[in-house]
This record gives sequence, C-alpha cells and structure tokens, in this order.
Amino acid sequence: MGKIKKKFSEGGSRTYTTRNRALRKLQVSLADFRRLCILKGVYPVEPRSQKKANRGSSKPTTFYYAKDIQLLLSEPLIAKFREHKIFLRKLQRALGKDDLTRAKGLESRRPEYTLDHLVIERYPTFVDALRDLDDALCMVFLFATMPAVNQVNNEVVDDCKRLSTEFMHYVIHSHSLRKVFLSIKGIYYQAEIQGQSITWIVPYQFSQNVPLDVDFKVMSTFLHFYRTLLGFANYRLFTMANLSYPPKVDQLMDDSAAGLGSLKIEAKRMEDLIKSAQPASGDDNSAARAPAAAMTKQMKQRLDTLGSKIKKIVAADASHINADQAPAYESVGESAADGDMDDEARQSGGLLFAKQVFFLSREVPRYSLEFVIRACGGRLGWDQTSGGGSPYAENDRAVTVQVSDRPVQGHQFLDRKYVQPQWVYDSINAHRLLDVDDYLIGQPLPPHLSPFVEYAEGDYVPEAATKMAAAAGFEGEVTNLKPEDRDKSEDSEEDGDDAADIDGASADEEEADSDAEEDEDEDDTAEKQRQKQLLAEQAGVPFSEYQQRQAQGKPKPKPKAANKKRSKAEVEEEERQKIAISMLSKKKRKVVNRTQDEATKKAKDINTLKARKSLAASKPVAKTSKSKRN
Amino acid sequence: MAIHSKGKKRGTASREAAAAAAQEEKAAAAFPKSKGIDVPSDPEHSSDDDEDVEEGDFEEMLKKMADDQGIDSEDAEDYLAGDSLDEEEGDEEDESDIHSSDIEGASSEDGDDGSGSESDNESGDESEADDSILERITSRSSDGQHTAVDSQDEEASEEELGEVSMDKLTIRDFGRDIQGWKEYRKTLPQIDAGYASDSSTEEPENTIGSVPIEWYEDYPHIGYDIDGKRIMKPATADELDKFLANMDDPDVFRTARDEVNQQDVKLSEEEIDIIRRIQGGSIPDADYNQYEDTVEWFTSQTMQVPLSGAPLAKRGFIPSKWEHKRVMKIVRAIRQGRITRPSAASSNAKPRFYDVWEKAEQDDDSTQQKRLARRARMPAPRMALPSHDESYHPPVEYLPTDAERQSWLDEEPDYRKKNYLPQDFGSLRSVPGYERFVHERFQRCLDLYLAPRMLKRTTQLNAEELMPKLPDPRDLRPFPSAQALVYLGHTGRVRSISVDPTGLWLLSGSDDGTVRLWEIVTGRCARIWDLKETVHMVAWCPNPDVCVFAAAAGSRTVIVIPAELCDEQKRLLSEELVRAGFNSSAQNEEEEDDDSLPVSWDMPTSTEQASGIHISVTMHKTVKSVMWHRRGDYLATLTAEEGGSSVLIHQMSKHKSQRPFRKLKGAVQCIMFHPTKPWFLVATQRYVRIYNLMQQALIKTLQPGVKWISSIDVHPQGDNVIVGSYDKKLSWFDLDLSVKPYRSIRYHQQAIRQVQYSRKFPLFATASDDGSIQVYHGMVYQDLNQNPLIVPLKILRGHEIRSSLGVLDCLFHPIQPWLLSSGADGTIRLWT
Repeated sequence: MGKIKKKFSEGGSRTYTTRNRALRKLQVSLADFRRLCILKGVYPVEPRSQKKANRGSSKPTTFYYAKDIQLLLSEPLIAKFREHKIFLRKLQRALGKDDLTRAKGLESRRPEYTLDHLVIERYPTFVDALRDLDDALCMVFLFATMPAVNQVNNEVVDDCKRLSTEFMHYVIHSHSLRKVFLSIKGIYYQAEIQGQSITWIVPYQFSQNVPLDVDFKVMSTFLHFYRTLLGFANYRLFTMANLSYPPKVDQLMDDSAAGLGSLKIEAKRMEDLIKSAQPASGDDNSAARAPAAAMTKQMKQRLDTLGSKIKKIVAADASHINADQAPAYESVGESAADGDMDDEARQSGGLLFAKQVFFLSREVPRYSLEFVIRACGGRLGWDQTSGGGSPYAENDRAVTVQVSDRPVQGHQFLDRKYVQPQWVYDSINAHRLLDVDDYLIGQPLPPHLSPFVEYAEGDYVPEAATKMAAAAGFEGEVTNLKPEDRDKSEDSEEDGDDAADIDGASADEEEADSDAEEDEDEDDTAEKQRQKQLLAEQAGVPFSEYQQRQAQGKPKPKPKAANKKRSKAEVEEEERQKIAISMLSKKKRKVVNRTQDEATKKAKDINTLKARKSLAASKPVAKTSKSKRN
Repeated sequence: MAIHSKGKKRGTASREAAAAAAQEEKAAAAFPKSKGIDVPSDPEHSSDDDEDVEEGDFEEMLKKMADDQGIDSEDAEDYLAGDSLDEEEGDEEDESDIHSSDIEGASSEDGDDGSGSESDNESGDESEADDSILERITSRSSDGQHTAVDSQDEEASEEELGEVSMDKLTIRDFGRDIQGWKEYRKTLPQIDAGYASDSSTEEPENTIGSVPIEWYEDYPHIGYDIDGKRIMKPATADELDKFLANMDDPDVFRTARDEVNQQDVKLSEEEIDIIRRIQGGSIPDADYNQYEDTVEWFTSQTMQVPLSGAPLAKRGFIPSKWEHKRVMKIVRAIRQGRITRPSAASSNAKPRFYDVWEKAEQDDDSTQQKRLARRARMPAPRMALPSHDESYHPPVEYLPTDAERQSWLDEEPDYRKKNYLPQDFGSLRSVPGYERFVHERFQRCLDLYLAPRMLKRTTQLNAEELMPKLPDPRDLRPFPSAQALVYLGHTGRVRSISVDPTGLWLLSGSDDGTVRLWEIVTGRCARIWDLKETVHMVAWCPNPDVCVFAAAAGSRTVIVIPAELCDEQKRLLSEELVRAGFNSSAQNEEEEDDDSLPVSWDMPTSTEQASGIHISVTMHKTVKSVMWHRRGDYLATLTAEEGGSSVLIHQMSKHKSQRPFRKLKGAVQCIMFHPTKPWFLVATQRYVRIYNLMQQALIKTLQPGVKWISSIDVHPQGDNVIVGSYDKKLSWFDLDLSVKPYRSIRYHQQAIRQVQYSRKFPLFATASDDGSIQVYHGMVYQDLNQNPLIVPLKILRGHEIRSSLGVLDCLFHPIQPWLLSSGADGTIRLWT
C-alpha cells in the first residue's frame, strides 16, 4: 500500500488561500496587506469550488492565489512598511515626550519608498503599461482638479496636475487623439498610442466636492502607484518622441494660469543625446553599442536635412504674415522636435484643424478645447480672463472660427465663423469639419452622440447617427475614411485593390444619389441603401461581396400583401425552432434560451426607444420650448 | 548719634549720597568715603528750607515715601523741639570730629596706601567699601580694648548698628572705663548698615509710638515720651502768616508737611527727581544702570597653578568608556549610512523618472520571461465606454419619461441598472459638475482590489449554430399535420382506441362504458357495445385472417366478433378461433384447478352473444391493459394489482391462462409483446424489463432514468423502444446499443400519456396531458453503424384539457400516414 496522502496537501486547497491565512503568513496588518495588494496588483479570485478551496468549509470567504501570496512574501515593500511603522512609533514617542528636536530629526529621516520596481514587475513591456493606463489617467486627472483639503495632499495635487499636463502635451504632440465625448459625468477622451486605445475621463472644471464616505487612504494608495506609472510612461513617451523630459515649467505662464502653456516642451538637446550615447559606447558591450551607432546615424541624418528644413521654415515665415504672432509652442515644441512628419501632415491638410485658427470666448471650457484643438493641429487664442499666454487676440484677423457659448453674440466679425463648442467635438468624432450651420450661436444643437458606440446588426441607430453617416457619404471618400485606412492606402501600393473598391463604392453612391434626385419616391430606399453600404463598409465588407449580397437579396423583395402570409410562415418557422430546441442537450438549450432572451430584451429596448421618440415627436411644442429655455 | 547712624542705614542711601557728594565739594573734601557724605550735608539743607508744604500732592507723596523707606533721620531731626535741637547741634560737632579722627586714624594706621585706596573706591563697589571699613575696624580692635554700654542711647544705637558691626565692635575691652570708651567711641567710624539693611525697626523721632496722629488733632501735644511727659506740638504760625510765608517762599511747591514730626519738609532736587521718575514710570534711581556689563563669575584666564595639590584621580585621565560607546554608536550609524548630511542626501537623489522599460529590455531573456509569466493572469476588465444616453445633449429617445425617472429615483441605488439618469442640458455652458465623480472612481478602486475575479470563457455562440443540423421537415413528408375529422359521440373520456388491420374501422373504449365502432373515413359510428363498466382498453386482433377484438371493461375482458364487418369466411375463421377453446378448456379443467389462477373463461349471456361477444374472461381485479400477440392467438392482460399475478397470458385457441411471472418487483405500468421475437416487455415504475418467454429468462433491463413510466412502444423492426413517462420525458432506446437511452427528448409541458410508432412509416408520436400530440420522424437504418435519426416534425393541437387530462391515446393508421387520437374531452380526432 502506498503512503497515505495527507488531506489538503494538493488541489484547490493548495492553489488558493484565504485572506486570513495570507495575513498570518505575511505577518502584516490588514491595512498593510491591502496596501500591498493594491500596489502589487494582487486581487482576490473566485475558486472553481469554494468548498475544496476552503478545506471543506462552504463559508463565504475571500480567496487569493497561494502563489500570489508567496510572491508577496519576498516583497521589499513589507520591510519598508515595518520601517515606517517603527518610525511612526518613535515619532509618536518623541512627540509625546515633547522632544521636538528629536521629532524633527526623525521627521527628516522619515523612511520613504518608491514603486519603481513594481512598475516593471507589473508591466514587463511598455505596451502592457499602455494597456492599463486608463485607470491611472482617470485617477490622476481627477486628483489634478481636487481641492487641497485634509484628505488630499497639496503636493500630490500639484504632482497630478503636472503629470496630466505632460501627458496631454504628448497627445498634442503626437496628434493621437481619436475620440471625444461630452458626457454628463465629464469629458471622455480616447487616444491611440502605439496601437493601444487609451480612454480616460476628466471631470468638468468645477471644484470637486470631497465626500465623507470615501476612503481616501485606498484612493491615495492607488494614486501613488498610478503617479509612478504615469510618470514613467510619460518619460518613455517623451523620449520616444525625442522630447526632453521633464519639461521645464514656465513660472510666469504658470502663474498667469496658462494651463497647457505653463510647460515648455523642448526637443531633446544634442548634448543630451550624446550624453546618453556616451556610456553605451564606452562599454565593451556590443549590444549596447548598436543603439549608440544608430543614434549617431540618426544625428547625421538630422544634420543633413537641417538645411532644407531651415529653408522651409524661412519660406513659411515669409508666406505667413503673422509668423511672429504664432504661438511659441508651435515653433519650438513641434517643428523643431521630431516633428517633420507632423509639419508635412499639417501642410497637406491631414490634420483636421490644420488650417483653422480658433478663438475661445471666456464662457467655453478652455482647458478642454485647447487640448482638443491643438491635438488636431489647430491654433487658438483665448480671452484674457480665462488665462494668460494667449497667442491671438479676439480682433486678430487670422482667426477663422470663434467658439462661443452664449445665447446672443453681440459684435461679430464677418470674416470668421461663430460656433458653439459642440461643433469642435462633433467634428473630431466625425473626422471632418462639419457644417457650421447646425451649430450657430443661439440655435438648438443637434444631439451629441457617443463615438464609442459601435452598431451591430439589428442595433438601434439614432437618427442623428444615420444623418451623420449619410452626410459623410455625400462628402466623398476621403472624409469617410478612417485615418488608419488613409495611411494604409497612401503608404502601400499593394492596397490598390481596396482603394479601387472604395472609389467604386463612392461612384456608385453618387449614381444612386442622382437617381434619388430624379425620383422622390425612391428617395427613402436609396438613402437606406446608402446607409447599408456605409455600414457594410464600416464593417470591412469588400464592395464586391456587398454587391453580391445585394444581388442575392434583390429578387426576394415581396409586395406588402405578402406580409401577412410571410408572418404565418414565420410562425411556422418559429414553431419548428421551438421543436428543434427540445432536441438539444440541456447545456446547449440553456445557451440558446439565453441568446433568445437577449434578443427579446434588445428588441424590447429598441421598442421603448422608438416609443419614446414617437412620443417626443408628438409633443414638438414642449421640446422647442425646452430648448429655448436652455 | 542714633539719628546719624540711622540716616546711614537708609535704603537708598549709598548711591543718593554719592550723587550728593558730587554737588558739595566741602563734604567731598572732608570725607573720602561716600557713605558718610550725606549725613552732614542733609541737615544743612533742611535747616535752610524750614518751611511748610502747601501742596497736598507732595505731602501725600512724602508720606508714602516715609512709609516705604522710613523717614529720613536728618529731616526728622528738624522737627524735634527744644533740647533735642541742641543735641543735634552737638551731634553735628561730634560727627565732624568722628570724621576727622577717622581720617587721622586711617592715615596713621594704614599708612600712605589707606587714603589712596579709599579715594579709588569712592564711587566703587559697596561691598568693597564695606570690606575696607571692616579692615579698619579689625585693625583697631587688635588693641585689646573692650566695649561697654553706658547709656540707653548708645545701646540703642549699637543695637541698630546691625549684627555685622556689633561683633566687630565688642572686640576692644574698656572694662569700667566708660569715659574712655566714650572717647574711643568718637574715633569709631560711621557705620553704614548697607543698602539692604532692614529699616522696619526704625522709630519716628518724637517717640510717640504708633498712635494715630489724628487722635491728637485737638490737643497741643502729639503724644507722650518714654517718661510719660507730653511731647508738645511745636508752635505754629497762624493761617495768614502761613499764607504770606507761602507767597514769599519760592520753594513752596517742593514742601510737604510731616504730620508725625509736625514739620514742613522741603524736598531735595534728587527727591523731586525720584518723584518725577516714578511718575514717568521709569526706575527711580537715576544712577541705576539697567544694562550693566556682565561680570564674569569665573575668570576666563587659565590659572597656571592648581588650586589643590591633590593628585589627579585616575578617571581624570582615562577616557570615558560610556562616552566612547556613545560616540561609537554614532560612528557606526555614519558608516552604515543611517546618518547622512542632509545636503549629501539631497544631492544623491536620482531623477524621479527614467526609462524603466529600457532597463528591462536589456535584462536577459529568462528574467524577462519570468516577469511576463508573473503578469496578471486575469487583467481587470476595462471600464464600460459611455453610450448615447450619457451625453450632455442626447437624442430625445434616450431621455427617460417621467414615470421612468420616478422609478429610477425610487429604486435602491445599488440595484439601479445605470448609476446615472440621462439628462438634456441643451448647451455646454449649463452642464454642472458631476457630484458622484469621486464616488465612481472610488468604486472602481474597490472593484480593482476587492472584487474576486474569475475567468469566464464565453465563446460567442450563435443560437443557429447550436441548433442540430436536421433535415427540413418538408422533406420528410408524409406525416400528419392537420386535423381532418372529429369523431363525436362518447360522453366520457375515451381511454383507448384501436384500428382494425384493414385500416377501415376504428374502435374506441370510453369511461361511459361503451365501445364504439367508427368508420374511419366518414366518421360514422357503426355500432355501440354497452359494457356497463369503464372500458380501459380495446384492441383488435392483429391476425388479418380473423376479425376479432378484445375489450377490457372493469375486471372482465371480452372477445368480440363484429359480424357485420367481415365476410363469411372471415367470420367462420374467427368463430372457430374463439370457440375452439371451449372444448379444450373442458378437457383441461383439472389442470387449471391446479394452477388456481384467478381467471374464469365464461360463455357470455345470450344477449351479449347476440351482440357479438363470444367470450368473457373474468379476473379478480380491474383489467388495465390488453395486448395481443402478433399471431393473434395469445392475449396478455394487466390487472391493477401487485405481484406476479397482475400479468397473465391467455391462449385464445385453448382458453387457457397462465401466469408467466411468479414474482414481479414493483407495480407494473404496461406490458407488450415484442413484434418480431418471442420477447415480452414489462414496464414497472422506473424500469423496463425484457423477458424471453421461450427461455423464461430476463434479457435486459432498460433504465430510462425517469420517475414514472407511462407507456412503451417497440419499433416494428424490433430493435428500438420508446418509453414515455409522466415526468414529461420521452426516451429512445436502441436495444443493440445500451440499456440507457440513446436520446431523451423533453418537450411536453405535461405528462406523456402514450407513445406510438407507426407500423408503416418512419414516424412516431407522443400524446400528452398538455393537449398536444407531437409527431416525430424516427428513421431506423438497416445499417447498424448508423444511429437512428430523430427529427421533430409537428405539434398537433386540438384536444381540450378536461380536469388536467389532455390526450389519452394516440395511434397511427396501419396503412395511411394518419394519426388518430382520443382525449379526455370525449372526442376522437383524425390527423392527416
């Protein structure tokens, strides 16, 4: 007979451990354990069998992976926490005895810990870090607007302000902003950095009320890690964009509430580059030498192209009368830095607001609009009351668009357009400059839709979205394309087929358009078809396939009289389905039932939406009065 | 004498006197010592300004001063009348003598250095001055003379000298030579009691005691002296004179009246100065320096010669062990870097951020791999992205109605589907801050570190993909799909139906006690047999050569030949079959007795015979089921009783019954002959047992896994069995495969009452209490490797549900793809 196995020596009880067991093993307090878990990213898990994991007990408990706890055991932070505990004890004692000199000395030697090693441990590659940047950004942007009260340290708030501004500068510099959404909670931004979509929300610029029922200890622990993470991410992003980090603070601008302008974004200086290359070349390590060689090569290239660049700049200056008025950040931060791509893109009109100069009236949220407009290549000025450092005055002739949010605009310059702020955001989401007529001052605005909603087949598509898509169709193929697609078609000639397809589609659309004009009865159907086409295009269906589908679909159309009959057939079909479900195994039947439930729920939701819409349409008076009031 | 000494003891005396000395050269020249100066000078002053004081302020002030500091002896002197005045003069002389003699003595005894040192100390330290006096006194006392007291005055004065001078003075012994002492006394120096000496023992000059002055206001005297004599008030001028005197006197402002001594006091310049200073709130003494230089208590100069000659203690030159320990502690701390200079610490600091990932990329593969492996196995789900209704200005259809808004508000916050209420603000300027922002962030934090995570693998399953790939029912025609006929007539539940082998006639047995014969195609009721009892079962004999059916009514089973349906030959054959047994049964009567079966084969009554009933088999219990063997000779019955005798097999040709099972476990639900083999199926509540009747052995026990079997049927080919159950399940068994069901199908909402195969088509049907009949395609292939194909085809609805009973029996037509069904509503329906 073999050796009798001990109970709970393997299986679920070894894989998982309960929180109390973990505490006993780590010999830390619960508060320290929580802090550790937050910082190390250790989370509780739901075991497959609670009873097995908890040694036969089915009491509700929190479980952790035993390996995770094992990992925590070797964490240097535990020692740091102990040091801190001892420090606090000493300080308490010194203060209790009124020994202020000793307390002061202790305070000056307060043990501190950094979380650098955790960043690399939790995110071994930079892409991992980018993937998990959402929460970090949300938190940092929130605390940047927090009042410095008891729970929130003043230094922390300042640090958050700085980190968030740095990140925004990177987004501006790399023009990576993709989507913006004005929600009732705050403003959502989505940027695409190194192929990762990063979404974060920023509260509206009001003083945050600090609630009492929120544990700021937990929040600040998270924030500590997030600040570290964002700092390192910023460093990496800036370095990769060839910008020097940390950017210098322009105290004068900072004092005049210049916001984004308070940081001076500068290209990495030559000396820095050389300095960073030097130690690598000094080493015998050949692997380390390779990047250095690449660096020198890069420098040479840059030197070679310097002459042409200077010429270009000079030419631009000559052509532009307002060259001296142009904001400093443009000339220094972007064109001088690795911004050759950006400049070209801007010149060719690739960026959305490349040719626009905005002026922001004092009632619009400058902090958001400045970021958004600059990220899309626009230039802007603002009212003196909303902060210093504005490169354009209100009466500047270069201004093309004035963003204003008041019921009536008094004096209007004739050579510029006056729009409400939503125009800027909607244009960014639509990837094209929208018609300003819908956004004129004092007019009720078209609804602001979330750019994050993706329509699957059978989903409810609001009218505004279909209108927008249709309008995009009229504009032509370029505006309709996503920027990535455009890049692709420009970059590679192999994608010619796709491009041809798209061209064909648009040509077809135009034909359809002309047809529709001829016959008003068919107008609706043509429009629907176009929408279908657009949807198909968005879904990435090649046009040929789409056409085939259409061809298959076309002979089917039935007169309206057949509607009832078909419904009967449908009933039969439904019955057959029901019978077929009885043939399924229990497991599959559950799945099928669930999907059916979902479908019915979806249909119900759509019906409520439609009902609401028809209700609203039946009371247009109330609606207009409401909009007037606003 | 006493007065003078007292004057020297005045509190502020020494420094005031020094100031006065500077003014009066004469006194200064006469007395090198400062202490003595004021005594002769003051009386001179006072004698000059012997006037009354008019100003009340000054008087009061003076009184105060007198109280505080004691009354100036020299001023008091002036008030004494008569003899005391003379004495004063004498004293003055004495005093001058004393002073001169003092100088002489000093010069004679101390030699040349005496006067020099004293003049140096003129404005010097009080203590030094005292020392010098003491020196002189001691030098004189070395003569060996002793002091003695000769008069009270002198004694008092001696007492008043204070303790310090008393001891010194009693050194010289004069014995009884009072005169000598008196002489000597004149040579003694003036004694200064010192600044700090106590003046509380001083008495006023007139010795009236501490009697309030106002008691003597109306008397000419102001008190009594020690001898009881009156001390008279001095003569005073009348008011007019006083007034005139005041008018003339320029010093009237500085004159105050001393009531005790009955005299006017003229204040000196210094006193006025003091008063002014007090009034001004500054220190009264003009010479007092608040900010004097510090005088070192220990000198900073190192003394070359040790004070003590004692040898140094060992600990004096051995370094302290404890000090060493303390120092080493610090040294160690510095070495270990626990103590650093603050400047060094700050300069050492790295830049806060650097490229961590670059460093990681340089690490070797194994570390990086380890890190990658340690990455969060379950990354936290991302936050949900906002939908249209979160917009500050959403489309109208996303705004909730008032009712929805109210229901949202009424709902418990934790149970709300969305944590916000869609709102339309119209324009961006009217959007307020979101109150719950911090809360939502906090909630997210909590979710990240507190919420247990679990990987849920959800494959995006399409419901259509999951659906079995079944052939289209339209391709599987023919099958009954619609109701064609309803056979009306029965007044009770129709429990059983049966179709004759030719497919023309239908029999039905009902709770109303009748058996009816129907023409299938027309629905005409051809004949009715009233059996008086509930007919549980009717069954046609499957032998196509005869025309016989059996009906189970109550505990009786009757065999009937419906004569009008069959031709002559068939009728003869049938009758032969039925009657043959009567002969044989008579022969074997004895054997039957042995068996003692509870069965009796009887000839029916003549009326019954006329209606075509030829045999009546009576059993003890109600007959639930009658089943023919396929040849038509054997008949199995099932009665409602426990045990082996519930199942009986009767042989028609011999009128013989036998009990195949001595014992049977459980209550038998239904029985059946196998269509091809000599097998017999018995379904108990949970199992179906298959017996071989020839070998008398159990072949198989099927386990459908249901709670209560209701019905069974065997496929015409004999290899498949379907079992229906009251728990809504249908199980298909492949006898070659397993004793467990090949497939279980559950579709009915209520109990299944009957399951039936079609004898000709690959169809089967189930009838249920939910009033529906489900028709399936059940194809059994000849190829043993191919599993039977089961396709649901059609649900037939039409029967009404009466007292929760629906369809009770169903049956396929033997030739056509038709289905007949009977229900609790008393109808029989034909489905084509």
